[in-house]
Formats: sequence, structure tokens, C-alpha cells
Amino acid sequence: MVLGDLGNSLRESLDKLRGKSRISQEELSEVIKDIQRALLGADVDVELVMSLSNSIRERASDQEPPPGASASDHVLKIVYEELVNLIGDSSDIPLNSQKILLVGLQGSGKTTTAAKLARWFSTKGLSSSIIQTDTFRPGAYDQTKQMAEKAEVLFYGDSSSKDPFEILQSGMEATQHTDIQIIDTAGRHALEDDLITELQKIDSIVKPDRSLLILDAALGQGAKDQAKLFHKAIGIDGVIITKFDGTAKGGGALTAIHETNTSIAFIGAGETVQDLDRFEPNGFISRLLGMGDLRQLTERLERAMQEFADEDDDWDPMSLLKGPFTLLDMRRQMRAMNKMGPLDQILDLMPSLGKGSLNKIPADAVDSTKDKLVTYDIIMNSMTPSELKNPRTIGASRIERISRGSGTSEDEVRELLSQHRNMEKGIKQMQGLGQGDLKRLMKRMQKGGGMDNLDLFK
Amino acid sequence: MFESLKSSLKRFKKEIKSTFEDSPPEPDVLPVSDTKEETSSETISFKDKASSLAQGKAIFDQKGLSSPLHDLELSLLSSDVEIGVVDVIIDAVRNDLVGTTRKITTGIDSVVEETLKKALLSVLDESTFDFKSFLSSNSPPVVIIFIGVNGVGKTTTLAKFAHFLDSMGYSTVLANGDTYRAGANEQLNVHSEALGKKLITHQQGGDPTAVLYDAVEYAKAHGIDVVLCDTAGRLHTNKDLMSQLEKINRVVSPDLTIFVDEAIAGQDAINRARDFNEMAPINGVILTKTDADTSGGAAISIAHAIKKPILFLGSGQEYEDLEPFNSITFVDNLLN
Repeated sequence: MVLGDLGNSLRESLDKLRGKSRISQEELSEVIKDIQRALLGADVDVELVMSLSNSIRERASDQEPPPGASASDHVLKIVYEELVNLIGDSSDIPLNSQKILLVGLQGSGKTTTAAKLARWFSTKGLSSSIIQTDTFRPGAYDQTKQMAEKAEVLFYGDSSSKDPFEILQSGMEATQHTDIQIIDTAGRHALEDDLITELQKIDSIVKPDRSLLILDAALGQGAKDQAKLFHKAIGIDGVIITKFDGTAKGGGALTAIHETNTSIAFIGAGETVQDLDRFEPNGFISRLLGMGDLRQLTERLERAMQEFADEDDDWDPMSLLKGPFTLLDMRRQMRAMNKMGPLDQILDLMPSLGKGSLNKIPADAVDSTKDKLVTYDIIMNSMTPSELKNPRTIGASRIERISRGSGTSEDEVRELLSQHRNMEKGIKQMQGLGQGDLKRLMKRMQKGGGMDNLDLFK
Repeated sequence: MFESLKSSLKRFKKEIKSTFEDSPPEPDVLPVSDTKEETSSETISFKDKASSLAQGKAIFDQKGLSSPLHDLELSLLSSDVEIGVVDVIIDAVRNDLVGTTRKITTGIDSVVEETLKKALLSVLDESTFDFKSFLSSNSPPVVIIFIGVNGVGKTTTLAKFAHFLDSMGYSTVLANGDTYRAGANEQLNVHSEALGKKLITHQQGGDPTAVLYDAVEYAKAHGIDVVLCDTAGRLHTNKDLMSQLEKINRVVSPDLTIFVDEAIAGQDAINRARDFNEMAPINGVILTKTDADTSGGAAISIAHAIKKPILFLGSGQEYEDLEPFNSITFVDNLLN
């Protein structure tokens, strides 16, 4: 699970303050120490951690908690605000024609990101192209070409040329008609003078509207110097964190945006071309604090629903709240969920309803759920349209036929039917609720535990 | 290389010296404990101090050590040593120094240096790997696979390693077990041509174990000494690809599994090394990108996490840029 130790240790240290209305200097020192360790353990630059923790300490001891607020809420709020202060807003990415230059260390994921980014723009209705100027790394041309095909965007490269400037010049012309021109560059570290000079030349040819630094989430304290030197060479306008589906916390990105005085634009988490999310600071921090990322989840949900609706025009998600809930509805829901991406990634984005409950879901459970969805789909393919619409008509002999037809066991078919009955029950309850009831339900959920801090951040 | 670690240790030596050299412990001040664990060595009696002073020795006490140790902790962290490993090192140094007496004549420097050396070697694996005897003791073809996270430099390292074996007089065939990433075949093909090596590949999307099988068959038929197998980069959290790795390891049962990671990695290095080691037991590590001004902590973290030797450091873009690593010279180097 991606939700990692940083969230856990922060939560743990703040838990120590739960139920107290005042905080002693010793307790504060203890919490500050834990916060420092958590941030250092997340690869945030040491000096940055110190200045951050100093401001937290000052504010926490100077400011009285507002009446009625507990000490832990108060400190949490300060920690949150200081992090917001540090992280700032996400980079502004206007949806108009622009040239984007991607730079970064070897192996940070520039090429994959180029394809993801091109696809991101094209889903927003802008035609995009990728120009590959990496003449150094063997296979860079082929990789980009294949990735661009997957992303369904225009590709320009020249495998026979060894001159990045030549490729660049003809590439810029060949892709001029596209709204977004993404220029991928060879990986380099900021200490190679000749490669930095080359980059400066590329920069002067492209005159990019935006130069983005690609940073591996696992990058250590080296992030500081790399960011500083890249910034000095060509001027960095934003950062993209990659490989965020690993266990690394991406603290190096915080250092980098601090050094370049910029912000994080996107987060890459996954191997497929759609695995790129717009960076959302509040969500990122909530995630650091172990409270899930509500907004990112909604975005994914909307996107999946949208893609789904494109294929299946007649279906309105709100129809769930009317009429009977059929197996067809259940299948649509399951497919929509699959579209949102791997289940474990989605679970990661969800707020934990109880404190830390999300972390307690065993990894196996996630996988078995994924498998189950596949099996359910197979079973439903062996049902007749009328069975799908009226699952109550499915008796023992039909179960036998369906299991044989789908190559599954009768138990699995029964499990599917009982799952449907459970979901139907839930939906019926929601159908019965009026507006006021829904609000009361939300309130009750908030009182339940982990979400009680959310109202702080509105 | 590893300048940041070096200067951390140097600073620590200096601080200890300035704390203890100019002010020998005052007999009337009892050391104040500021750590969680109470050790017996903390309470140094007046008598001990008096007697050691009389014998021309001084004692390192908790109070005097606390600030230099805190600084050492932070500077190790800023050198990318993993936080848990930092704790191990700091505890080892503290336990070794607290209550230690020293002869004024030997100087504080050498005592502290000895302590640091011991602490560092305790987290590193001291064993070295002798390729010559390894290769001659295994019947050819010797199968070596390279594993690691995406973008750490597995393919480049494999090519450098082929070059290294060339210099030792061993023939190699390359196998591309990365049937996953776009451009993988092409990348390895360029290296195989440059090095004049046969490359065995299958189509993208194929089964990596089948490629490796073919490569071994090829090596047998042509009397080639070593099969070098590349694998697809994978994040240790990607369950499907990690079980594929487990399968490769099970089916191919390589003679040597080399874990490649980048020296610029931060705190997460330890998690990857552990997870990979679980799926395909690692025999040795190669750290890449050491030319990118790395602080070097990842070397210590990884070695500690899996207790396996670091074999080489990859330090540039040329085939020659593969430096043998030895933990004892590494530590000596850090302390000098």
C-alpha cells in the first residue's frame, strides 16, 4: 500500500495528544521530533525539515488553541498549514497551445511521462505531439515511438540522426500543427557540464512555455542540488513526481519545489499511459497525514464515468437511485470501478473511515477483490438477458447451467447472487433517504473516527 | 563521491574532540541521561572518573556526547542513510563511546575513528565477492540475472558487466528478459552490437523465462561461459510483476542474482532491496549513478537491509565505468 509510514508516524505522534486541551513544552518537543523523523524518513531535505519544524514549534507554543479545539487538532492544523505553505498551489497548466520541455536525471521516467502528458492533453481536447531528442540512450527512439502509439499522439524522432538540435529543429516544424508540443530530452545529471550546455542550447531553440523537472519519488537528498542546478541552467517551471505507486514518499519533490520556487504539476503512478494525475496539494497533504485523498478520487471517478458514458450513452448513474437494481447495474458499477484503475490505487485515495483502517486492509484482500470482479463478469456473460434483469428468477437448475456455461463453481454463482442482494439492499436504503437523512448519515460517519479532522480544512 | 558521508563523519570527530579535549569531565557533575534506554555505563561514579583522571584517561559521558550524536544523526540522514539504519549506527557509536576511557596519549581522534569504523562495518557486509573463483567453480554456462526497479540502469550495467567479463577472458551471451518495456530489445541490441555479443530476444509481450531458456541453450551449444540476463524494471509494489520475478528465479534458478539500484535513491532504497530479496534472493548489489554527486547513504542502507556485498559502483556512461567495491576500503575512505 502506498499510504506509508510518513502518514502513520505523523498520526501516531499526533495521537499522543488526543483528548488533551493543552500541550506541555515536553509533549510538543516529542511531537516535533516525531514530525522531523517522519519528514526526514520521507526524503525531505534536512534544512527544510528544520525550518519547517521550527515554525511549527513557534506557532504551537505561541498560539492558544481556539476555544473548544483540542490540542491535537490545533497542532494538526498548524502542521497542515505549514505544509500547505511549503507546498503551495499546484502548477498552473493552462489548456492552450504550448511547448513543454521535459528534463531530469537518467531513469527518472521522462519518456513515459512524455507519453502520459501528451495523452492527458489530448483527453482535454488538445492535439499533442512528442519530439524525442535523446540520441544518446539506445532504444529511446523506439520506446518513445511505441509509447506515443499507445497514447495515440503524434511522434517525431529520427533514429539515424545523432544531432539532437537537428532533430529538434525539424521536429518542431513537423509537429507545428499540434496544440501541445512535448520535447523529451536525454537523461542527465546536473553536474555534467557538457550535457547542461547542450540542454541550454535545446532550451534556446525550443523557447518552451514550460520546462518541467521530472523527479523520481524515490530520489534522496540529492534532489536539492539537482533541482537547484537545473533551475539555474534553464529555469524550471514545475515538477512532476514519477513512480509514486511505489513506497517512496516523494519528499525530494518538496525540496525541489522549494529550491526552484515552483510547484508540483502532476503525479505519475502506474505503468499505463493514463496513469497521470494532476497534482492536488490538499489531497497530497491529506494523504501525507494519512487521511486519504478525496478530491483525486472524485476526479478519477468522474473520468471513469465519463469514459464509460461515452461507450454506454443510455446509462445514467443516477438511475441507480430510481427503479430496480439489476445485475446489469451491478456489472456497470464493477466495470466503472475497473476503469478507475487498479483497485489498490483507488483504495489508497479513499479516506479511511476509522483511524488507520485503510492500512489494515491486507494486500491479498485487494487482489482477491480484483480477481472476483473478473469472475463475476465471466459468470454474468453466461446469463440470459432476462436473468440479468430479473436475478430472482435464477433457481438451482439455472445456477447449475450458468456455472457449467461459465466454467465456474456453483458456489461462485451463488456468491455473486448474494453479493447482488446485499448491494440491492444498500441501494434501496439510499433510495428511501430524503435530503435531510443523507446529511444526518454523513454527520454520523464523521463522528465515527478518522474523518473528524476534515472540517478543519474547509 | 560520497563526499557528504565523509564530511558528516569528519564533523563528528571534530565535535567530539572539541567537547572532550578541552574540558575533561568534571567529577562533581553527574551525566544526565537523555536517551530512552538506560544502560549501566551511564552512571559513571565519581570514583571511576577520579581514578581515570589520575591514570591520565578521560571518559566520554552521555551529556557531552548527546549534541555531537544528534548532529551525526542528522548528517547521516542528509546523506541518505535510511532512518532505521541511522539508529543502529548511532546506538552502536553511543554504546561504544559512553564510559570508554582513553589514554591522553592515544588521542581522541583515533578512539572515535575506531568506534565509527566498527559501527559502520557492523551495518555493512564485510564479505567480498571473488568473481574469478566464482566463475571457475561453477560449470558453464553460468547464469547471472540483473534485477531492479525501473530506470535504475540495469541494462547499461549489464553491458558494462559483459565488458568486465571480457577483460577477465570470459565469453558472454546477452539475453533480454525484459519483454515488457517498449524499446528494451532495441536498447540491448545497440549494446550487444557495440560489444560484439550475441543477443537473444523474443517479441515484446513474450515470456521472459523462455528467452532465458533459449539463451542458456545457445550458450551450451556454442561453448559460451556466461549468460547475462536482463529483466524488466519493476516497482516492488507491483504484485504481478514481482510474482513474475519469483517465477523467473524459480524456473531459471540463476547462479548469481545481481540487484541493481541507484546510489541517488533516498530512504526508500531499503524497502526495494528487501522486497526484491524476498522474491529472488540477491547475491550481490551494483549501485549506479554514483557520478551524480551522491551522498552514498543508499550503499549503507541496502547493504544493511539484505546483508549482501556491494559488488560494483557504476560511475559513468562508458563501458569501463564499473568500479569494484570493497566495504573495508569504503569505510577507510570515508574516515580519512
